[in-house]
Amino acid sequence: MATVTKPVREEPRRPNIATAAVSLPAVRDFEQVDREIIGTLRPTLAWFIGLGVAVLALLLGITAWMYQIYTGLGVAGYNPPVMWGVYIITFVFWIGIGHAGTLISAILYLFRAGFRTTIYRCAEAMTVFAVMTAALFPILHLGRPWKFFWLIPYPNWRYIWPQFKSPLVWDVFAILTYFTISSTFLYIGLIPDIAVLRDREKVSPIRKRIFTMLSLGWRNTDNEWRHFARAYLFLAALSTPLVLSVHSVVSFDFAMALTPGWHTTIFPPYFVAGAIFSGMGMVFTIIIPLRKWFGVKHYVTINHLDAAAKLALFTSLLVGCAYMNEWFVAWFSGNEAEQQFFANRIWGQWWWASSILYTCNMVLPLSLFVQKLRRSAAWLFIISFTINIGMWFERFVIVVPSLSHEFEPWQWTSYRPTWVDYSILIGSFGWFSMWFMLFIKQLPVIAIAEVKEIVPPKLRTAHEHGVDAAGRHFEYEPDTPGEFA
Amino acid sequence: MLGVLAAFHELDSAVDALEALKKQNIGAVRVFTPTPRHELEEAIGAPPSGVRRFTLIGGLLGCTFGYWIAIWVSDWWPLVVGGKPIASWVPYTVFGFEVMVLIGGLSTVAGLFINARIPRITMMVGYDPRFSHGDYGIWVECPPEQARAAEDLLKQHGATEVRRER
Repeated sequence: MATVTKPVREEPRRPNIATAAVSLPAVRDFEQVDREIIGTLRPTLAWFIGLGVAVLALLLGITAWMYQIYTGLGVAGYNPPVMWGVYIITFVFWIGIGHAGTLISAILYLFRAGFRTTIYRCAEAMTVFAVMTAALFPILHLGRPWKFFWLIPYPNWRYIWPQFKSPLVWDVFAILTYFTISSTFLYIGLIPDIAVLRDREKVSPIRKRIFTMLSLGWRNTDNEWRHFARAYLFLAALSTPLVLSVHSVVSFDFAMALTPGWHTTIFPPYFVAGAIFSGMGMVFTIIIPLRKWFGVKHYVTINHLDAAAKLALFTSLLVGCAYMNEWFVAWFSGNEAEQQFFANRIWGQWWWASSILYTCNMVLPLSLFVQKLRRSAAWLFIISFTINIGMWFERFVIVVPSLSHEFEPWQWTSYRPTWVDYSILIGSFGWFSMWFMLFIKQLPVIAIAEVKEIVPPKLRTAHEHGVDAAGRHFEYEPDTPGEFA
Repeated sequence: MLGVLAAFHELDSAVDALEALKKQNIGAVRVFTPTPRHELEEAIGAPPSGVRRFTLIGGLLGCTFGYWIAIWVSDWWPLVVGGKPIASWVPYTVFGFEVMVLIGGLSTVAGLFINARIPRITMMVGYDPRFSHGDYGIWVECPPEQARAAEDLLKQHGATEVRRER
């Protein structure tokens, strides 16, 4: 009887797990990665115009704030008992924006989701600048903003300390930690890329010197990479619960109060899901024009946008579920104040704000069930705008209707933001955009070292992808129409 | 510090050269790579990074400090809220957690800096800007009498350039 010998299967080497699920077929080698990503750093006229617009918006905000400091908080449209308005709404909005960045850079890193590789740097920078923006708003909201440091516990001559049972003090700790860890995570990830910029900088000795200092003498040794990979993993692992905690703590600002619509245990997960949803919207708003202007559609492909859109759809469903749960609990609780408040929120004086919220956050994102729309950059860009608007109004609907319709009918009132509120809101977008515009022309918005991990390395022996005589990968022919659209 | 530096275009050439160097036990080897590769990591066979200890110790210290500052301040400046105990551990978990993440994260960075020997003011002997671009490098620190053997071995495994440095 003939014996059948089983063919010996050579055990393949372990792939780079973090990026195993994604490939960039139109990126052939490391030289191309360096050339194309560093090429995005050249300033253009459109960039200068964009920066100018951002600075003008910021100046508008600064002017309004100066006027408010000089005149008093009364110019901000507060109408007792509605003493939280646009500033707190916008504070929660910007904190939420930051969350998607950490989700993409840290949580998806731990989950080994390959599609994050080319978009995470952008999202991470967005997080840092969004938190920088959000942190301004509690200060803007203060009548005497120069006293903001009273919230920070430090030994002082007055022998007084903050109230550690107050959610406002929890906020201070949560936001300072979030900002510190997010910016550290961003910077640590940037070090190898700054080393690439240092080594490739041939024109400006000043830039070279700055990159040399910022790269901390990084040399790409095996020892450095080994510790870097471990440190990056731990920072991601620490950032993951942090991102969940920060918006939970922000939600406690509301949930700890005995106000109708606020005093509910669903707020922490509801806020976290909403934060990630809004952040995904902002990621699309930023990344879709960038990939076009920077000519990096073959890095941030439609496949990546498709995967991110599924995430946005999922978080939209979570948020929708939370909205429905709120209605259910109001009805099921039998609490008359809660029921009347919800009726007022949906059918009463705030119906228009609720309609915007539900349309933008629950209805329109359902279109992302359609694959064709998920793979349309134009539609994603439009949807991203509606998500941004919807999520700002979500916070409006949380803050204003509750305060304007509390238990005592004689307290029921309305709220109308003033030009100062609107100017500071616009100024916050200017502040955020200014930092982002400066970032994208100084440092790479696509992680060079991580992209190189997913580009097949040059090998002496040919492998299944096929290489030409010079060791370069064959030119990629997109087989899906519109893949690089 | 005297040694031989070799540059490789191909990853598998560098891995083969590395394995051969280890087999022949020629000098102390350091590898330069534009991006981390498991192939090189396995060939080097380095022990696990010590960064994790920094993270653990920093996290534990941070957590302890977070609870301690809240409890100590509450006892020092007692404010009764809602009839709850002066030092209520439940809300203070927020501080324990946040400071754990803060100190744990910063300790991780300190662990990276200490273990990877950065920041470094001067570039080390044997570095070449190509190694952040696309090439792989192997630096073999060895006495002069072994340098010739190292050079031959590296060339034999496909090094595009081999040079001695000190």
